[in-house]
Amino acid sequence: MRRFLLLLAFGLLTSTAVRAEFVIVAGAASSFGELSRDLAEQLFLGRRSTTADGHSVQLLDLPRGAERDRFYFLLTAKKPAQIRAWWSRQVFSGRALPPFEAASIADLRRRLGDNPDAIGYLPDDAATAELRILLRLP
Amino acid sequence: MKRAHLLALWLALSPAAHADDALLPALQLSGFATLGAVTADRSDLRFYGADFNAPARQRVDFGADSVIGLQGSLRLSKASDLTVQMTAKRNPHGDHRPQLSWAFFRHSPADGISIRAGRLRVPFFMFSDTLRVNYAHPWVRPPTEVYSLNPFASADGIDMLVHASAGEWSIELQPYYGGGSIDLLGGGEARLHGVRGINLTASRDALSVHLGHGQGRLAVHWKDSGFRALSAALALAGPAYDALADELSGRRGRAAFTSFGVHWDDGRHQFIGEYVRRRSDRYVDSAHAWYLSAGYRTGSVLPYVVLASQRQDQAITSLAPPAALQGAFDAYLASRSDAQRSLTLGVRWDLDSALAFKAQLTHARIGRQAWGSFYPDEGGRAPGGRRVNVLSVAIDMVF
Repeated sequence: MRRFLLLLAFGLLTSTAVRAEFVIVAGAASSFGELSRDLAEQLFLGRRSTTADGHSVQLLDLPRGAERDRFYFLLTAKKPAQIRAWWSRQVFSGRALPPFEAASIADLRRRLGDNPDAIGYLPDDAATAELRILLRLP
Repeated sequence: MKRAHLLALWLALSPAAHADDALLPALQLSGFATLGAVTADRSDLRFYGADFNAPARQRVDFGADSVIGLQGSLRLSKASDLTVQMTAKRNPHGDHRPQLSWAFFRHSPADGISIRAGRLRVPFFMFSDTLRVNYAHPWVRPPTEVYSLNPFASADGIDMLVHASAGEWSIELQPYYGGGSIDLLGGGEARLHGVRGINLTASRDALSVHLGHGQGRLAVHWKDSGFRALSAALALAGPAYDALADELSGRRGRAAFTSFGVHWDDGRHQFIGEYVRRRSDRYVDSAHAWYLSAGYRTGSVLPYVVLASQRQDQAITSLAPPAALQGAFDAYLASRSDAQRSLTLGVRWDLDSALAFKAQLTHARIGRQAWGSFYPDEGGRAPGGRRVNVLSVAIDMVF
């Protein structure tokens, strides 16, 4: 019975660890605390550009493609065509500056390390130990 | 010019301009473009969009929808930036001279508040501030029945964007003040002064609700041949008709614009509806318009159907012309009314992450005393009461 419970606990632990598909991350030198899902959604929809304590954020995007689309779908439940139409309205109506598009996952990691104001997202297995995890998705 | 100097000074004095985040470029460039073609099945009628625009010479018109826009934002500090947008589209003079559609300095004094000053797109209706960014809309263009009621593109002034949350709702409040002008076909000009307005947008999940109202002083100086012929005839009719002439063109008008819109998009179903009203005491008519659009997204394809209508509430003037001029006067009033009804079937196909192809077929019935969205050929049959089919195809991109 004890062994079963242990196994069950282990199974739950590993499954929650495995279940995070994407993580929102910042560099080790940043002072961001954990992000709520709601705040993360507002940031990545360009509705606000600061965290709850007024810390301004520079968003980083992955290059266009399936990973980026998947991240936005997990966070906002919006499909790629909706997200792109939404962001083009935000940018061309002068409401928000577009996120900066990194050239690759490695480039995004490097920029996070260099800029303490930057926040980006990565597939869970691409996050390295020197990054701080602010939110796990889903 | 003075403004540019002030900005240069700000740039030089602001220590934050030498960004602490040196690895991120301070300048960000983006753009949008549409290559569109439109043709009507009546050889003597030319389609035009929601802005005044020289009529096409060819049966297939590449100029009514085609547009290119480039935008640059320069980050000056964590709380301020400078944004400039240039657009090139066929204008009332028939050329494509680039116009400055946005040029503003933005500052965020506190979280959720930003103040913008400079040249801004006038946000009278739900999609006014992205009217030419066709990629952002499902259709080839926002319905002309609604958007022709306010052709003003940009205004010089100031606005404020205030964001707040109320439970699950995200609220944006946008008060604005300013004025601007547009060129009219035939060399005229229209100008709005001292415009005060406010917009409210509330969004939650797939739903977004928009409310807006703006009003100001209106000056309209027509110079097209239709106006010149009528005003010359009225001048000959004697001083008794000076009051009537004063209501056709001049700079003592007042106008108000009200809009109410709803936008629903859950990823599969899309519903967009908007009702707008223009009130004007002279120079242009008072009218209301609406559209309802429904779409269904499967994969990268979004077929849609749109019903739209514009109706006149009050003619430009209630004064009567001399009996001998009644026919010419009625024809003049019709030429300034965009009243029409239409049914549109279309499809948007997202080809790529930043490229969409659209095709739509519109069946329009022009109002009896109106020109609707069409110009008749010189000396041709009047558009009033006629039915027209319009085919539009476009490729939209953002970059």
